[in-house]
Amino acid sequence: MGSLSSSLSIAVQALNAASGALQATNNNIANANTPGYTREVPILQEVAPTTDGNLSVGGGVAIEAYQSVRDELVQTQIQNETSAQSGANAQLTSMQQIQPTFTTSTQDIGTDISALFSSISSLSTNPSSPSSRQAVLTAGQNLATAFNTASNTLTSQQVGLNTQVTSDVSQINQLTQQIAALNPQIAALKGTESNGGTLEDQQNQLILQLSAITNVSVTQGKDGVTLSTGSGTPLVMGTQSFTLQTTTASNGMTDVLDQNGTDITKTITSGDLGGTIQTRDTTIPTLLTQLDTLANQFGAAFNTAQSTGTDLNGATGTAFFKFPPTVPPAAAPVAGSAGSITLALTSPSQIAASSDGTAGSNGNLVNFSALQTATLPAGQTPGDAYANLVYQVGSLTSNANSESTATTASLLQLNDQLNSVSGVSIDQESANLIMYQTAYEAAARVVTTIQSMFTVTMAMGTAAAD
Amino acid sequence: MRITNMLPDVQYQIQQSQQALATATQQLSTGLRVNQPSDDPSAYSNMVISLGISANVDTYTSNISSVLPQMQTADSAISSMVTSLNTAITLGTQGANGTNSTANTQALASQVEGLLTNVVAQGNTSFQGVFIFGGTESTTPPFVPASTTYNSSNGTVALPLASTSGLTNGSVTTVSDATTGDTFTFKATAGDTVASLITAISNAVSAGTLSSGVTAGINANGQLSIGTNNPADGIVVSTNDATLGSMSAAPGTAVPNAYAYVGNGNSNSVQVGESMSVPTNLPGNQLLFSGANVIGSLNQLITALQSGNTSQVGTATTAISAALNYVSQQRVPLDNTISQLNAQDSTLSQETLNLTTQQTALVGISTADAATNLSQATLENGAVLGAAAKALPETLLQYLQ
Repeated sequence: MGSLSSSLSIAVQALNAASGALQATNNNIANANTPGYTREVPILQEVAPTTDGNLSVGGGVAIEAYQSVRDELVQTQIQNETSAQSGANAQLTSMQQIQPTFTTSTQDIGTDISALFSSISSLSTNPSSPSSRQAVLTAGQNLATAFNTASNTLTSQQVGLNTQVTSDVSQINQLTQQIAALNPQIAALKGTESNGGTLEDQQNQLILQLSAITNVSVTQGKDGVTLSTGSGTPLVMGTQSFTLQTTTASNGMTDVLDQNGTDITKTITSGDLGGTIQTRDTTIPTLLTQLDTLANQFGAAFNTAQSTGTDLNGATGTAFFKFPPTVPPAAAPVAGSAGSITLALTSPSQIAASSDGTAGSNGNLVNFSALQTATLPAGQTPGDAYANLVYQVGSLTSNANSESTATTASLLQLNDQLNSVSGVSIDQESANLIMYQTAYEAAARVVTTIQSMFTVTMAMGTAAAD
Repeated sequence: MRITNMLPDVQYQIQQSQQALATATQQLSTGLRVNQPSDDPSAYSNMVISLGISANVDTYTSNISSVLPQMQTADSAISSMVTSLNTAITLGTQGANGTNSTANTQALASQVEGLLTNVVAQGNTSFQGVFIFGGTESTTPPFVPASTTYNSSNGTVALPLASTSGLTNGSVTTVSDATTGDTFTFKATAGDTVASLITAISNAVSAGTLSSGVTAGINANGQLSIGTNNPADGIVVSTNDATLGSMSAAPGTAVPNAYAYVGNGNSNSVQVGESMSVPTNLPGNQLLFSGANVIGSLNQLITALQSGNTSQVGTATTAISAALNYVSQQRVPLDNTISQLNAQDSTLSQETLNLTTQQTALVGISTADAATNLSQATLENGAVLGAAAKALPETLLQYLQ
């Protein structure tokens, strides 16, 4: 037969359980908007029953543990998608800064190429006109300046991205240290009644931050999380974090090395660091090569046209463009041509318009005009080569934008999925509040009832003595 | 699926609709669907190519505006020459009838001299500083009065030039002949001497470039002297050779009514279409010497009238008739080119319209479409904001007492 004392004990346990559950609910509500917070649910366990003769009576309820509700699979997907989004954003940011240089204006390369050919055609109507000759020189210098500007835009972007690589590596090292420090703390709390969920949430947020910088592979072990880059370079193992290093390569670019000094630059393909490296080492060099090739071959072709005619003084035409430090007529290397190209002529009279040595002849100007439709050694006319470059820039920017948009939408969906498991629903917690409040009230009522019964029992003994 | 917090989704939807609204607003205000390469890379790069073509069309139109007045000026000058030649024929016919007194024929000769002066003046027409009948030697008048003798400025009795005197490498000496209408050019190379020049001039006579009787040598004053022994012929000589100095006509050797052509026979072309270029000048030697010696025949008539030889007057008048036919024929290609340019101007105007239409199709958007897009985007944005305002504040807590 149960005693009042055991009933009181059960009621007190119920009060504690309800109180503990309320605390968990309270914590959930408080952290409803905390980034990375995983909701906790109290695990209520029935206490083992007691036996009295043939009777078995329940032992009440106790909170076995507080459990964080997680979805590891979705969490991993979010990390991967975060890497992809950051990589796309890194490329998009760069391309959005490059694109204006290739957008049609009064000073872009395409407009200036057209203006140069137009000025030459106009000169053909009066080849000895000083103003028409000056217009050709001005157009030539404008084109050279446009090439310089485009080249500077691309190389400046490279310099900025180079600095970003160093910054990203520094951040990676900070984060891996913090993540490694949390592993033993979390391991110590596992299997105890204390909830290690808070520390795990903290660690997950750090891993998410790390995913934004570079792609990571996460595995759970008895010593905590083990992190490595997507290509297998270890970052965190147990309590140990592995520091990445940077070094300057012969081309001036910053390379990333693992803790053993091995160059892992090319293996980093995602995250802000991956996107930065991709843009710095592949995207921009490709555009620069096309730009340099156009400047070099266009300039060389113009110089050749100059050499086939005579200037206003009857002398054979000298170079129209030059690529310092190379001195004409030596051929300049392609690399750097767009950045160095400048006008070589210093006087309008030096334009080699004549084909017969007289000042009034325009016979050589046809050799300049022909360049507009002539195929340069690279295989396209100057106009087509530039249009192709514009297409490349537009396409790269558009693709990065699409990737960024797509990953944003995907992340939204994944976060919705995660929140459906781990997120705090105010409505649900409000309902839990009522539930646990009612349970507490009921348990308190039981305590009150048992107290009354104690009082009656005590009173029974006193009446008999009287 | 358990829904915990609608805010992130709502924020995303609001952002998307506001982006659409911003895009629609920009399209309406700019009239452009594609404002930068990433909006539509293919369309944008095609537009870049199209703009290049448009720039060329504009240039061709400008070129036509530049050359057309010059060609019309040339046509007008040739028309004046034709009028003068017609008048000369009339005067010549009158002078050949044998009934004129000496005074009359002298008066006729004087009138023909005036006509010759006009023809030469027309031949020396300039347009915006360019002598349009000089070929590509267009910076100085192409028709210059001729003399029988030209002497170098260098060379004196005390210090004469010699046949062995070396000429400056690269120097140019020209001899223009009023009878042949041709110009002989001698460009000195290393080792050339005065003797080399004299020999070259002799060879030019043999070749017919210079008329017979043109010779060169060192005169008694120690100067290089180039001249003709035909008093009716004339030459013009120029040089930039430092050994010779300059060449000037000897005093008293001017040949009345004789003019040499010091231009050249080259012409310029100007592009006025993608595959269309037109010649922009008619060299004076082609106009007044190649088919018929116009100046020579007028000179011949003057001489005949002055001498009163009616037979020679008749012969000279016949020669002028032939010259007139030839000059008239020279106008035909010029007039054809002027017509071509006018037609091409119209063609280019149409091409400009076509290109504008093409560019609009590539990157533009009609006002109607842009306005419709904006209305749609505004409506959708309002709906998203309205839905968010309605749904977000609703929680269970509001209903619990």
